[in-house]
Amino acid sequence: MHPEELLRKQAETAPDPGAAEALAPHDLSRLGRRSRRVDGHRKSTGSEIYTDDIVLPGMLHGKILRSPHPHARIVAIDTSDAEAIPGVQSVITGRDMPLAYGIIPWTRDEHALAFDKVRFVGDAVAAVAAVDEDTANEALTRIRVEYEILPPLFEPEEALEASGNPIHEAKKEGRNGNITKHVHLEFGDVDEAMAGSDVTVEGEYYFHGTTHTPIEPHCAVARRNVNGLLEVWSSTQVPHYLQRELARVLDLDVAEVRVVQPAVGGAFGGKSEPFDLEFAVALLAMRTGRPVKILYTREELFYSHRGRHPMDMSYRVGATADGRIRAVDGKLLLDGGAYASFGLVTAYYSGQLLMAPYDVETYRFDATRVYTNKPPCGPKRGHGSVQPRFGFEVSLDKLAEKLGIDPIELRRRNFMGLGRTVNEFRVQSNGFMECLDKVEHASDWKNRYGRLPRGHGLGVAGSCYISGTNYPIYPNDMPQASAQVQIERSGRVTVLHGASEIGQGSDSTMAYIACEELGVPVEYVRVVSADTDLTPVDLGAYSSRETLMVGNAVMMACRELGTKVRASVATATGVGAEQVRLANGWALAGGERMPIARAFMLAEAEHGTLGAVGHYNTPKEGVHGDYRGGTIGASPAYSFTAHVAEVEVDEHTGFVNVRKIWVAHDCGRALNPMLVEGQMEGSAYMGFAEAVMEHQRVKRGTPEGGLHDAPSLLDYRIPTSLDCPEFIPLIVEANDPEGPYGAKEAGEGPLHPSLPAIANAIFDAVGVRIDRLPFTPDRVWRALQAARADAAPESESG
Amino acid sequence: MNVLRPGSVREALGMLADEPTAIPLAGGTDLLVHWPANHAGRDATYLDLGRPGELRAHHWTDKALVLGGTTTYWDVIRDPRSARDLPLLVDAARQVGSVQIQARGTWAGNIANGSPAADGVPVLMAYDAVVVVQSERGVEEILLSEFYLGYKDMRLAGDQLIREIRVPLAARTGQRFEKVGSRRAQAIAKVGLATSHSEDGWRVVAASLAPTVRRCPSVEALFDSDGAAGSVEDVEAALAADVSPIDDIRSTAEYRLRVAARLLFFGNA
Ligand SMILES: Cc1cc2nc3c(=O)[nH]c(=O)nc-3n(C[C@H](O)[C@H](O)[C@H](O)COP(=O)(O)OP(=O)(O)OC[C@H]3O[C@@H](n4cnc5c(N)ncnc54)[C@H](O)[C@@H]3O)c2cc1C
Repeated sequence: MHPEELLRKQAETAPDPGAAEALAPHDLSRLGRRSRRVDGHRKSTGSEIYTDDIVLPGMLHGKILRSPHPHARIVAIDTSDAEAIPGVQSVITGRDMPLAYGIIPWTRDEHALAFDKVRFVGDAVAAVAAVDEDTANEALTRIRVEYEILPPLFEPEEALEASGNPIHEAKKEGRNGNITKHVHLEFGDVDEAMAGSDVTVEGEYYFHGTTHTPIEPHCAVARRNVNGLLEVWSSTQVPHYLQRELARVLDLDVAEVRVVQPAVGGAFGGKSEPFDLEFAVALLAMRTGRPVKILYTREELFYSHRGRHPMDMSYRVGATADGRIRAVDGKLLLDGGAYASFGLVTAYYSGQLLMAPYDVETYRFDATRVYTNKPPCGPKRGHGSVQPRFGFEVSLDKLAEKLGIDPIELRRRNFMGLGRTVNEFRVQSNGFMECLDKVEHASDWKNRYGRLPRGHGLGVAGSCYISGTNYPIYPNDMPQASAQVQIERSGRVTVLHGASEIGQGSDSTMAYIACEELGVPVEYVRVVSADTDLTPVDLGAYSSRETLMVGNAVMMACRELGTKVRASVATATGVGAEQVRLANGWALAGGERMPIARAFMLAEAEHGTLGAVGHYNTPKEGVHGDYRGGTIGASPAYSFTAHVAEVEVDEHTGFVNVRKIWVAHDCGRALNPMLVEGQMEGSAYMGFAEAVMEHQRVKRGTPEGGLHDAPSLLDYRIPTSLDCPEFIPLIVEANDPEGPYGAKEAGEGPLHPSLPAIANAIFDAVGVRIDRLPFTPDRVWRALQAARADAAPESESG
Repeated sequence: MNVLRPGSVREALGMLADEPTAIPLAGGTDLLVHWPANHAGRDATYLDLGRPGELRAHHWTDKALVLGGTTTYWDVIRDPRSARDLPLLVDAARQVGSVQIQARGTWAGNIANGSPAADGVPVLMAYDAVVVVQSERGVEEILLSEFYLGYKDMRLAGDQLIREIRVPLAARTGQRFEKVGSRRAQAIAKVGLATSHSEDGWRVVAASLAPTVRRCPSVEALFDSDGAAGSVEDVEAALAADVSPIDDIRSTAEYRLRVAARLLFFGNA
């Protein structure tokens, strides 16, 4: 097509932008609008390609043999019978990949396949590649593993006490190998402030453990091509880290490993480290010379886990008579399961992320993460901080009750504003007060809190979360996020970036940013993401980092190109470059306008091929304290949330009906409010389900000890649409100077107050504190019975 | 794996007479949940009931609704007469799994699967349904409330098919179905209760409270004696005599009994 023909055609279909002067800047902006997702059509019509949709010529199917014992030494493995089955192409065991790995370089304690020991029921022991799944399953039954059974440790308290058979050998003589990490930090003199407090409240809290349950099970496909390149497609949320660990464990050059992340059907933190199947498909593909696929069964998902840690927590909070928090003292025991995973970070987060949005005079926490012979815990949406937030926000509710102060007012009195948290994190934007105002108003709190009929109640809670971590997992000075943008003369813009689209909308967000800066309609933007061969490095979708970090990188690259395009348009039209706008498919220059493709052609003629790169690195100066551990939990920007939950408690059945949740969330600038609301809703519903329905647990006793008690979606209860409460999203925009256009995060923060808001609402409804999760009918009913029994003697005497 | 695909009921019964270990397959929504993951586990013969149309159809007589051996929940939901004349069937059908399961799952499959937590069985039992089983040896009619012998044990021989389920029509003055699940859809009952009242007296049927779905004679007698039971404690005591709940991953024995008694008392008082 001749360029003029193309332009005529585009001009016919492009919307009329109107005269540039007549339009307010807002009208020309792509941001802040309720825009469609770039992958929406594909996903809603079922045409999106997920990892399991990939079928390569000659592809084999793999299966993994898993340990039936929670704790045992592997004495011998005999794979000869399995290998003899027709159709079986390769069988591998831990000896074939003896190098330990782990997402955190300081705690590498896992093997792709168990090497000498198994540490939970479900630990991978061997893997098979065969012509089809049935044959592979058959082969698993023929692998003979001789185990020497060791006593299992299921309770974290037991693991704390050094035993004869630690789950992992201690790194140093005389230490307890069952401890992953112990963190003790104190800010100010807690004992003194506590002693000087007018009131104190104390409590013991328990979070029970939950898992991610993405709709898409983990899946990986590997192929080694004839040039030696190992290609791995995986439903991961950390392609970059996976690429590095694959190369390390398989002893390959990183440059010879390509990781591609196809569309992912949900992850929530459950795909943020390498898993056995990725190593297994890679080695099996190398051994057989054929592509190999492994897809987890739903049952395997419950065992691979990496979900939210069960935590025993105790909090003591001291305050002045008018409700100002003087001292917070927390002690936490984290049940880590069989491996470290992100546990070192989890242990820090369990204390470090608690102190905003409040102005706290002194703070101390003591957190210990232990190993147990259970599926390993890891990061789940709101990593490490959802559990302590529950204990702490319930403590605040008790404080309010004791002082006779309205719980929202109590939180207002302790608002920290901008500046430093007690543990020295720098906060440059903070919309928490507005969040409180919004939920208070929307829920008609003032007229209804404490005044609803028995069985009905309202509860409030607040929280804060990070927008990315200030430091990468392996220390380096390179950018945390990067992007490359190319402009093609048709008007098409290609954004190549490393961010992992896991359903949160990162591909769409990057497209909106390109539209905003380059004036193209969203249909003109192609997004290529998370392919280590094609896209520049990004560290992955975790800690709510993508919008802020990759968004900044894309913005930087686009701005460089936008400047060139505007300059060329200015030259061609004779107006000043500062008067040129690129918006909605047009370049607007003074009173003139031209299709955006013409502007791009002018720029390409003047500057040559149009491409630019951008990157983002976190600020290192003045963002955190310089004490040991002070970097962990530090973030370029923080989001804030407040919830009000309304519940109805049926005293006959113990059923807690969460009727409605108002969620106000400060995400900074909402680049697409619809995506923000989607994240708020997903978070609130996930938190709601963790409070009243879900429970990841294993059986105790012999012989079934260590078996998951409900490894299916039938009995592991995530809510259906019928179970979910009415949800009212209230967006608050306190723009942050670090974020692109002021944007922070929305993917994890809004989950945190869900649990304590519901707990506090139950108290308002029935006057009973239930400090141990989950609030399932049986437990609530028992708590109500116990409360009634406690109350009975009193009422008799009174 | 061997699959037999009879075109008629007669042919199906012939095949079963020859091979009584063959496993009938209707909607497959129970059988496929337990589908073995390897060849060896599937080394069995399945008898696909999908083809005989005569087995699928349901019809009304002046005395009863007659469900076929492969009539689905959805067939009953879709028939406007069901909600009018036998409303509990619709209430229960709508509680089964999801729409997809309702469209495939069958009433006979629910009966033959023998789960103590079934949703279809309690309402059929509360309506005095009769199971009509057939083999080449002949036809037998068994009251559903007498069909089960123990956990997953029932009066159905290898060569027999459930041919029909007859649900009598009657003037009923009260009828309820209650399912306490751990969520509002896609859940298995922690407690299931179906009750009905007619001139024949009360029918009180409990699910998930004993090794089989079963009628509760003591509660029925209590209800029959004074119309409404005196107190919730009376109902709980009577119910305790009728059922034997257990602790499992879905709930506890104590909770099941307490909650069932309360639902019965407050629902039918
Ligand atoms: C996701 C899901 C959710 C579910 N939710 C519920 C629920 O909420 N409540 C509930 O009660 N059930 C539920 N079920 C179980 C199942 O759907 C029901 O029990 C259903 O009624 C079974 O019918 P079917 O035709 O699919 O049986 P099938 O699986 O085909 O067969 C079940 C058994 O019945 C035998 N059988 C079938 N037809 C005959 C016949 N005519 N004569 C003799 N034997 C026969 C089979 O041999 C087999 O033993 C659920 C299942 C799934 C997969």
